[in-house]
Amino acid sequence: MNDKHPSNQPERPSTQIRWRHRLWIALSMLLLVSGWVQAAEESTTLNSITPIGVVQVAGEPLIAKITPDIADGDTAEPIAAPRPSRSDYPNIGVSSRAIVWILAQLHLFFAALVLAVPLFVLMIELLGVYTGDERYDNMAYEFMKISLTGFSITAIFGGSLALALFVLYPDFMGYMMHVFGAQVLVYAIFFFLESFFLYTYYYGWNAFRYGNLKWVHLSLGLMLNASGLTIMVLANSWATFMMAPSGVNEVGAVVGNIWEIMKGPLWNPINLHRFIANIAFGGAVVGAYAAFKFLSTNDPVRRAHYDWMGYTSNFIAILAFLPLPFAGYWLMAEIYAYSQQMGITAMGGILAWLFIVQAVLIGTILLAGNFYLWAGMSRTDGSDRYKGLIKYIAVVLVVCFLIWVTPHTLILSASEISLLGGSHHHILGPLGIMPAKNVAVNLMLVATFLSFQLYRRSDKVATVSWAPMGNALMVAIYVVAIVNIIFLGVYYGYFTNTVYKVGSSVVQVASTLVVIIAGIILDTLMFRNAKTLPSHWGRIPDRAQYALFALPIAFTWLMGLMGYVRSSVKTHWHVYTVMKDNSPDNFIPTIAYAGNMITIVTVLFLLCVLFMFWVANLSSTRQAKPAAGGAV
Amino acid sequence: MQTNDKNSTLSMLISIIVSFAIALTFFYGLDHLVMSMQGLPLNPDLSPAG
Repeated sequence: MNDKHPSNQPERPSTQIRWRHRLWIALSMLLLVSGWVQAAEESTTLNSITPIGVVQVAGEPLIAKITPDIADGDTAEPIAAPRPSRSDYPNIGVSSRAIVWILAQLHLFFAALVLAVPLFVLMIELLGVYTGDERYDNMAYEFMKISLTGFSITAIFGGSLALALFVLYPDFMGYMMHVFGAQVLVYAIFFFLESFFLYTYYYGWNAFRYGNLKWVHLSLGLMLNASGLTIMVLANSWATFMMAPSGVNEVGAVVGNIWEIMKGPLWNPINLHRFIANIAFGGAVVGAYAAFKFLSTNDPVRRAHYDWMGYTSNFIAILAFLPLPFAGYWLMAEIYAYSQQMGITAMGGILAWLFIVQAVLIGTILLAGNFYLWAGMSRTDGSDRYKGLIKYIAVVLVVCFLIWVTPHTLILSASEISLLGGSHHHILGPLGIMPAKNVAVNLMLVATFLSFQLYRRSDKVATVSWAPMGNALMVAIYVVAIVNIIFLGVYYGYFTNTVYKVGSSVVQVASTLVVIIAGIILDTLMFRNAKTLPSHWGRIPDRAQYALFALPIAFTWLMGLMGYVRSSVKTHWHVYTVMKDNSPDNFIPTIAYAGNMITIVTVLFLLCVLFMFWVANLSSTRQAKPAAGGAV
Repeated sequence: MQTNDKNSTLSMLISIIVSFAIALTFFYGLDHLVMSMQGLPLNPDLSPAG
């Protein structure tokens, strides 16, 4: 992750220890991945698209209607979902939806943060063990210290949310408890387990620091992450059940077991999307902490430390952010596959405008992330070789950003339509549809990876004999991939039928991934035993730190926005097609109202984060002892 | 000296041509492969075959 910190190189661990690292990593990966793989294997497409009623897939035989699993002689009737009337919803004088909205979103923000931080903390700690460099260990500990208060805040908002839901939506919560039953208790058990592993992991950091005890500590961290991830996927199943119910019949009566209820068609896409997004979000938030600490000190040693910490945070945020659009694409594809109506509500109806706002926010994130990398190049003397390329990358980013934010359908008056010559602008109109936006997004990601690659190369000189060939191949991959992405978008997007238009977007994604994977592999091989040029941590303009502040603000707003879209696609249903929402708030609010709500939640979260940072600082502050006889 | 420069330039030129040939072949194959996997075959000139 970081090979530029100016210091003496630590001793390499012995072969025996390295094998122990590998064995530990292999076992850890096996533990974390096995559950998910099993879920993915069992969750076939056919099962996923038969949540309720009788369904027939084109070209496939009729799928048998799901029937209740009732033992012989058992005449118990499955209980249908309740149908509450308006009067069944308690009226407390303010919008129940607004209360739940704020509490749920704040809970999710903090949950995302406290799930993500231990993930990359464990990776950094492991890196410290592998390299034998204690600074990694210290940084990982500091990341944990920052986020520790966040665990309590998450629990407070989670408890408040549960309370608000039971009070304000009793029938709905009664139905959810009936459907999920004992699974909710499993959630509670994992919550206790997570707390146990959190406190032993954090408070045992210095007690289990060296030798075999370090492996005990790493295992505690692994169990902390396993507990956190299990909590996340359990909670995700509630949200995805509301969007795409499975394991129940057309009236909401439970006809499947808990596993069939959980493994709905949207469960794994949401699991993956949230997992990646949480890491990006967590990286961005702790990056802001590092920026704040960097700006608030003049001590060169501390500035170097927090510069390094900020760089690491930005690295985590941007690296996790790069594959995020593809996970989002999978989620939207599954939403369309489950219900075209739901997909169209999201991307073709009132919510479509929010995707333009999303483009603005993602553009902000990419511009801020790139700017930070460009500014960070000033740390190394070798970066002069690449600085000339920055202006071209900036042009690509800005042009693509403008294409991405170009709307398709404008809300116009008659006179405006007359002036425009139609409902769509004759030049900009074609830029408003998905093929143009797919080109723009993929080129922005390729450009961001190029910035990242140039930054990584800026303090190195390759010494392998085939370096010119390697560079030529990298340039060729970039050029051909960019041409391919544009060709696929323009040709299939505008000159063939819709099926090819949609299919070509997958090839665009593949092209972008090829650039990223090829870049990582080529650079790893080319810069093995490379000559390292001097770099100076702390030598970065102060304005670069403001990019680190921009990232968490944009990420938070974006999560609030897209979380609202995800929840709103259910329209007037508590549980889509199964349990209607008859509360006074059973409508999609105006964009302005939603925007205000998301802004309020974002500001509240940022205030809570400031409190969290302040508390983290407080623990390392010691009041000077008053002089004897002096005023206290 | 001049011969060395010429050899170096020629070697660089060959590297560039070979690299672009590899990249073009790879992405051409990628287009065919990923589209076919989705049941959307392409003609050799990349126009839709379906």
